[in-house]
This record gives sequence, structure tokens and C-alpha cells, in this order.
Amino acid sequence: MTLSYVLMQNLRRNPLRTALTGVAFALPMAIFVLAISTVVMLTKTAARIEQQLRLAVHHKAGITAFMPEGMRRKIEDLDPNRQRLLAVCAMRWFGGRIPDTPNPLMSLACDVDTFPTVYQDVPMTAAEVEQWQHERRAAVVGDGAANQYGWTPGSRVVLDSTIPPYQRLEFIVVKIIPNASPPNAFYLRRDYLLESLQARGLTGTGCNIFWVKCRSAAALRTLQKDIDALFANSPDETRSEDENAFIAGFIEALGDIPGLARVMATVVVFIIALVAGNTMMMSFRERIRELAVFKAIGFPSSRVFLIVLSESLLLALFGSLVGIALGVGFLLVPWHNPHSESISAPEVSWIAVLGSLAIGLTVGLVAGLWPAYQAVRLRTTDALRQVV
Amino acid sequence: MALPFTYHWRNLFVRKTTTLLTVLVIAAVVGTLAWVLGFGAALAGSLAVAGDEQTIIVIRRGANSEGASAVPVADFNKLNQLADLARDPASDQPLLSPEMLVQVSLPRLRDRGRTSANVAVRGVTDAAFRVHRTVRLSGRTFSTGASEVIVGVRAAQQFAGLQIGDTLNLGFSDNRVYKVVGFFTAAGGPLESEIWGDLPTLLSAYNRTMYSAASLRIRDGADAASVIKEIEGPAIDLSAQTEKGYWSGQTSQVRIYLAIVAALVLVMAVAAAFSIANTMFAHVAGRMREIAMLRTIGFGGRQILLGFLLEAVLLALLGGLVGCLACALWLEAIGHTKDMYGSGTFTTLAFDIRLTPAIVGLALAAVALVGAVGALVPAWRAARVQVIAALREG
Repeated sequence: MTLSYVLMQNLRRNPLRTALTGVAFALPMAIFVLAISTVVMLTKTAARIEQQLRLAVHHKAGITAFMPEGMRRKIEDLDPNRQRLLAVCAMRWFGGRIPDTPNPLMSLACDVDTFPTVYQDVPMTAAEVEQWQHERRAAVVGDGAANQYGWTPGSRVVLDSTIPPYQRLEFIVVKIIPNASPPNAFYLRRDYLLESLQARGLTGTGCNIFWVKCRSAAALRTLQKDIDALFANSPDETRSEDENAFIAGFIEALGDIPGLARVMATVVVFIIALVAGNTMMMSFRERIRELAVFKAIGFPSSRVFLIVLSESLLLALFGSLVGIALGVGFLLVPWHNPHSESISAPEVSWIAVLGSLAIGLTVGLVAGLWPAYQAVRLRTTDALRQVV
Repeated sequence: MALPFTYHWRNLFVRKTTTLLTVLVIAAVVGTLAWVLGFGAALAGSLAVAGDEQTIIVIRRGANSEGASAVPVADFNKLNQLADLARDPASDQPLLSPEMLVQVSLPRLRDRGRTSANVAVRGVTDAAFRVHRTVRLSGRTFSTGASEVIVGVRAAQQFAGLQIGDTLNLGFSDNRVYKVVGFFTAAGGPLESEIWGDLPTLLSAYNRTMYSAASLRIRDGADAASVIKEIEGPAIDLSAQTEKGYWSGQTSQVRIYLAIVAALVLVMAVAAAFSIANTMFAHVAGRMREIAMLRTIGFGGRQILLGFLLEAVLLALLGGLVGCLACALWLEAIGHTKDMYGSGTFTTLAFDIRLTPAIVGLALAAVALVGAVGALVPAWRAARVQVIAALREG
């Protein structure tokens, strides 16, 4: 009589309970997979962003305040030999949306010369850079928006601005950003926007943000201090943050999804531990006499311990696998809204899957420990005499 | 005759470990549910108050929020010609309020200033207090022409530097120092997340010549839809929405977030129902002879069925109470404030999550239902115990 035989018999004896436990374990497990996938995705995005060594310089009053475009030169002059910084790209918020719809795009007007350098993570080929530089109406767009509206390189796109003076502009897509974050990013040329503003008699040279591409993490830290010191006590005091810190405020304002994911993951682990523990206590109680018989016919305590413990583990494995399948299935369904201002869509990651499995098995192990210990402590004669 | 209540109550404690574990599972689910309901209530409360059909918000055509809108004074003045505009009975002034909306970045108190959020600053005149009828001052208001502001209570609660006597920097280049002189409430509405100051001084501080938006009240009995049509017509050519419509549009992001959390809680509730079913099956299976005995002494199948349902509901309620308690402690310890950006703006809407008796009641009712659903099949099985066979068994 092998261990696996005993285990399968035990799980099959009360198929209803096995099924109920399985479902009660699998559903929270599915949530756990989703929560962990979100955390893994955010961590990966943060790590990717950190590598880009970009510093966001905006007005101390907030990102909607304008700063004069000449500040770019002042920032560049901090490091004339380009020891610490690679390039500075000024941006102005365009606030575009698809005409006659409420669908917004995260659209920003950027300096034409430095955009490809500062956004090296948008892998533009030499030909694409050339197009960006020669076509005034050029736009570099995120894949989410491109898929949603069926844009391909060369598409003509019309956007309405939702901020004064609410002008309508036409663009030509020159590049689609793979795995864009956010998926609805839309970069246009600042000189093109400026031209359209000047045609209306407006100046419009103000910028909302300067992106400073740095050479190293150490350079980023010193530049952060130097830039804020440079503009201190000027009419345009700045606040410089690395890109992750800059994004953190937005993530928080979109409902603190990482915090939610962490809380959910904790609650859910708590639930599955209790569900598994409950089932193991119940099945142990019902089988006290049977375990006593095992001991009476000469099974060593270690074997009895193992039988109870591995049953718990098997149950947890079963529940985890079903839960992981549910969670992964949910993630694979392509229903993510490209308008959602999420940083990027959560994806299935091996870390999340293996992590979930490990947590599930740990829970099974812990849940089985107490009943298994009870089984070892069982006094054979008492248990056999006991009438349940 | 029904089975005595004490029979069920005491039965819960026969299997202490199982009961405790099940209660904790339910508590975890109910704790989360109570939080979601609390947030939902905060959102609904804020929208219900904003839901004034007699107040209309006017913005520039093409803008998607007050903050992104610019209304020239000449265009604003055209609104005076509206026939259905309400008038102040005392002064016969039209209830029409010019407003300017900017924002200021302030550190959140919740994470001790690690992150900051953009708080809306609204420049208003006296008219605003007559148009936005829910606004109540506590303390004094700003003096006309002075660099003073009043702060909505939600904003004061959630962001640093907004207590009376504090100063904050506003203005185009952040160089005008404003002093907080009072607080205001707006019956829980979204205006409580804002800072209000004197319109003319704020216009000059931000180098502006245009208003952002206008709020107006229409005559009692006037039809909001026809007024909106008139505003959007060729004579005025601005864009208008009722206050209710505007704010429910601004909170769409918040509602998506709530829907996601609610869906997760629903999944967990299903798991809890299965867990209760599991426990009740074990209860029934362990008490076959007892049930058969009850049948023998004259209790009917229906009474047995109801009895086990009651037992499950008791179990669920016990878990529910623990869960609500845990949620209350959580809100007390971690904080009951939450803020999210409106969908068309970069300014924040602050919420205060509280466990009211109504929310606790709703959460308990929901969990009682989950308990009953989970116990349905086990109780049905208990009611159909074969008396003779069960008595002979064992």
C-alpha cells in the first residue's frame, strides 16, 4: 500500500468535500495570481524605467504650470561637456482626444531634436528618426491606441485638444511604440504645435516638463539637486524627480493599485490558509479511528505524519493549480481597455505563477502541520475506543 | 414547533476549531466587503450631494473639465440673458457665478508627504455661495481683495498645510502667499476637496483675463435640458451640463476602480459560500444520529432544514461581526481617507471612508445571505436523513 494510493483514496472518499475545498481554495488563489501579477508588472516597469535614468523637472506649483522654454538651455549649461546629462527634452501638454468622442490620449508635444535620445526606450530606427525630423506633423504613438483605432505607420490622424485654445490638428503616424506605457501615449512635435498656436496669435512657448536624460544614477542625483538649486528663488522654481517618483503620484491618484494588490494578496492568503486548515481538521477528526488503526498495525509515527501532511499538500496543489489556471486564463483574455490610464496591462509572468504555487503549497504545508502533529500524538487505545 | 435557538447556538461551539476557522474566513471576506461598501457610500454620498439638477455648470466647448476650460468675460456675460436664470430674492442679483479653476500640488498626509496630489483651487465671488447652496462656512470667509483662502474640510483632512493660519503659495509662478482663514463644508460633495479664494486676486495672481467656467442656478420649475440647449445654441455657444452630470462624468475613473474591487470581493464571497457549505456538510455528517433522533421525537424535515440554515446564518453573522470589527480597526489604524483624480482633470477628489450602521447592516445582510446559500444543500441533506438507517448506524 503506497503513500500515493492512501492519498488518492482519502481524497476520493469524500469527493464533495474535496470539490468544495478545491473551489474555496482556487477562487482566492486566482485573485492572488492577479494581485501578484500586478505587483510583478509594476516592479518590472519600475525597474525598466529606472534604467532609463530620466529626471522629470516640473514647476514647483505642479505639472500644469508653464515654465519658459529657455530653461532647457539653462539646464544644459549646467553640464556643458555632457559629463552628466545626455539630452534635455521639453514637453508641453496637448490633451488630445479623438474628435467627437470623450476618448483621451496622453498626448505631449516634444522637442524634435532630443526626443529620440531622451526616449531611447522607444526603439526608433534611423529611418524612423529621419521621418520624425522631416515630417512636421509626425507622431509617435503607443500600441494600445494604435490597435484601438487601427493606426499603422503612415496613417493620418486628427486630434482635438481639450485645453485652450482647443485647436484641431492633423498628424501622421511615423512610429508605433511596442509595449507602450501608458498604452495611449501620443508624442507630437512641439514646433508643430507652436506654429499652430502662433497662427492664432498666441505665444505658447511654455513647457510643462523637461525630461533630462542622465548618464548615470549618480549623475541623476546630483543633477536633481543642481537643477532645483539653479532655479531656486527664481519666478520658476522647479521640483525635480526621477521618473518613478514622478509616476508614483499618478499611480496613487488612480486608486493606489499596488497598495490594493498587496492588501488583496494578504487577505487572500489568509483565506486559503483557513480554508485548507479547516478541511484538514475536519477530515482528520473523521478519520481518527482509521489513523489509530494504521498505528496499531505498526505504521511508524513518521509515516502517519507524512500521510496527513501530504494529503493537505495534495489538496493545496490541486486548489492552487485550478486557481492559477483561472487567474492566468483571466489575464489572457484580451479585454484591457486601451483608454484606461494604467501604466501598462498586467501580463502573465512566470514569477507570479511560481510565486503563487509556492505560496499555495506553503499554505497546504502549514495547514496540515497541526492535524499531522495531532495524528502523531494520537494514543492508539483511546482513539480506537472512542465512539464518534 | 421550531428547534430552540440555544440548540443551534451551542452547536456552533461543539466543534470549536472548525467554527473558528470558518468564522475567520468569513471575517476576511466581510472585512473587505465593508471597506468596498464604505468607499461606495462615500462616492455615492458625494455624487448625491452634487446631484443638484437646478445647478448648471458651463464650460468652453471642447473642454472636458472646468480646469481645462477658458471662458472669456464677454461670453460669460451672455449668460445673463438666460430667461430661466434664478434670481436672489433679496438683492435681485442673478444666481450666476464666474469661477476660475487652477491647482496646487500638496503633499498627502496619509503617507507623510511621500507623494503629493493636485488640489483644485477655485476662484469665486460672493455669487458662488448663493449658487452652490450646500456650501457652509465654518469660521470666516476670505476678504475681498485679500490674499486669503478657505479650505474644504476633505482637503484639509487629507493634505498638508491646510490648517487655519497656514500659508500656501499660489499664483502663476507660485509667488503669492495665501493664508488659510477658514474651512467650509459642502454637505459631503466634491467641492469639499477644493480650496476657494477671491476671484479677482486669483485671476491677477495667475495672469489670467478669462474665467474658467460658470455655475448658475435656474428658476424653480425651469427645465434644465432646455436651458442647456439654449446655452449650447448659437446665441451663447458654450457647453453646459447639470452639476450632477458633470460630477458623475468626473468620477468615472473612481467607479471603474470600485467595480474592480467589488468583482474581487464577489469572487471571495463565492469562496466563502463554498467554505460554509463545507463546514455545514461536516456538521450534518457528524450529527446524523442526532438528526434522526430529532425526527423521531417529532421534529419535521422542514424544521430541520430551517434549523441548519439558521445555524449557518449564525455562523456567517458571527464572521460578519468579526469582519466589520476588523475593518473598523483597519480604517482607524491605516487611515480612512482616499483620493483619486477625476477623469478629465488632474485634480483630486478626496473621499472619507466610514463604517456607518447602514453599511455594517448591509454587509451583515449580505453575509447572512451567503451563509444561507452555502448551507442550502447540506441543510436539505439533513432534512432528508433516513431515520431508521441513521439510528442503526455506528
